[in-house]
Amino acid sequence: MTSERYGVRAPMRAWRPGRGDMRVHVQSIFSLAVAFVCLAASLLVVTNLSAVRDRWSHAGRATVYLRDGAGDQEVVDLVRALEQTQGIKRVRHVTSVEARREVVTDESDAALASLPPSAFPASLELGFTDDIGDGDLQSIALKLRALPAVETVETYQRWTERLSSLLGGGVTASAALAVVVMCAVFSVISSTMRLLLSRRSIEVEVLKLVGATNAFVRRPFVIEGAMQGAAGAGGAIALLGALFLLVRGRFDHELANLLGLTPSFLPWTVSLGLVLLGGALGATTALVSLRKMAAI
Amino acid sequence: MFEDVHKAYRQDQPVLRGMSLVIERGEFVFITGSSGSGKSTLLRLVHRTDQVDDGRILFLGRDISRLREESIPALRRNIGYVFQDFKLVPSWTVFDNVAVALEVVGLPPRLVRSRVAESLERVGLAGRGDELAKRLSGGEQQRVAIARAIVGEPALILADEPTGNLDPQLAFDILGLFEDIHETGATVLFATHDRTLLDVRPRRVVVLDEGKATDVPHGLGDEPMDLDADMALNLVA
Repeated sequence: MTSERYGVRAPMRAWRPGRGDMRVHVQSIFSLAVAFVCLAASLLVVTNLSAVRDRWSHAGRATVYLRDGAGDQEVVDLVRALEQTQGIKRVRHVTSVEARREVVTDESDAALASLPPSAFPASLELGFTDDIGDGDLQSIALKLRALPAVETVETYQRWTERLSSLLGGGVTASAALAVVVMCAVFSVISSTMRLLLSRRSIEVEVLKLVGATNAFVRRPFVIEGAMQGAAGAGGAIALLGALFLLVRGRFDHELANLLGLTPSFLPWTVSLGLVLLGGALGATTALVSLRKMAAI
Repeated sequence: MFEDVHKAYRQDQPVLRGMSLVIERGEFVFITGSSGSGKSTLLRLVHRTDQVDDGRILFLGRDISRLREESIPALRRNIGYVFQDFKLVPSWTVFDNVAVALEVVGLPPRLVRSRVAESLERVGLAGRGDELAKRLSGGEQQRVAIARAIVGEPALILADEPTGNLDPQLAFDILGLFEDIHETGATVLFATHDRTLLDVRPRRVVVLDEGKATDVPHGLGDEPMDLDADMALNLVA
């Protein structure tokens, strides 16, 4: 019963001394936000790289580039044969003119606009069924490459491999940043706790004088540590979100053309996870600092 | 009850050397002696702010010196402690400074409010709960500290030179407050080296000297004392 009451009253006790330490809290939260921005930014990169990889690895499509000299009848026959092949659900013939039209969407790019249609090879865009395996896809590509009308076949496998490699690098960088962020959080919150303990030495002394348990004395500090960590992470996400919105408008179109998807912000689960991580790190650091510095 | 209590902060300078003393429940006892005689140490040992080196201190049937760390808060809730320097949180209100003694035991807010109001009334600070502690005079701050000490209705009140920072008239007022508290049944250990307070009323006095306690059951009266120069000056005054 008593411990339940403690639990309800803890935030009140945390706030009472906290009112006078607002500047310390703001400075601490700002420092934490800077640290968390680095982590959130790397996670943002990983999130988008992952989306691009998924987009291309599960695109379920391939492009068959035709030779310049491929005859119309040859192409028609090829289209018909492909339409009857198991695993292929869609075949679209893209002529050189259509290919140019798709790429040159903005006439303001003079260099691109000056290219003739012959610079854009005609192709067949293949759409595969969802259940087609990698082996079947490779087999179809191999057979198609052997045909005289076919220049090459792009299955986007290399893209996926490169992106996977990039993604692996991104994940490693994020993990390293996470360690750096944890150290930064520990350092900032430890310093803040040392400062708060020094400013509130009389409060701590009075609490112990009147018979407060160590847990009771610790609780406000731990709550403040958790709130600082969570607020730092939340602030970092808000800051990154604002930057993302600011930059997004400028690159959306180019990225969509290049990669086939628009950049996205951190999923809410990741954002929430960051805030929770900040809170947990803050609480743990406060706890460790108090035990180390004040033996409470 | 103190049984052969030893305490030294430095090996070569023992403060208490086998001190034994029995204080009955409900007594008012002055603890006196020269500076460094161990008055504060004795109180700190009872409060378990310090730990005895050897011997036993029995309080409410338990040996304080053997208490485990997690049992100390419960002991302190049974003891009200008043200091010379008040030990109030200056940035808290009078109410907060007193209420903290009840909040640590988890009393409901309504009960805290009524008990704090009652305590403030007993020390003559009724209606002053919203004022910041730092805005009060020395005498008023000491009353707040006393209110905090009694609000939990402890069995024992420890007062460590509570009048040391106050002028003589205020000192007598504060002593009067402790006597009122004693009337309600609390045991009071009042450490002071101010001889004028000891002479107000014939009460039991324990003189600490050379690490031992000398009991004077009915006050010092005109009895001569062998105290150091610091104490002697007070006696002359």
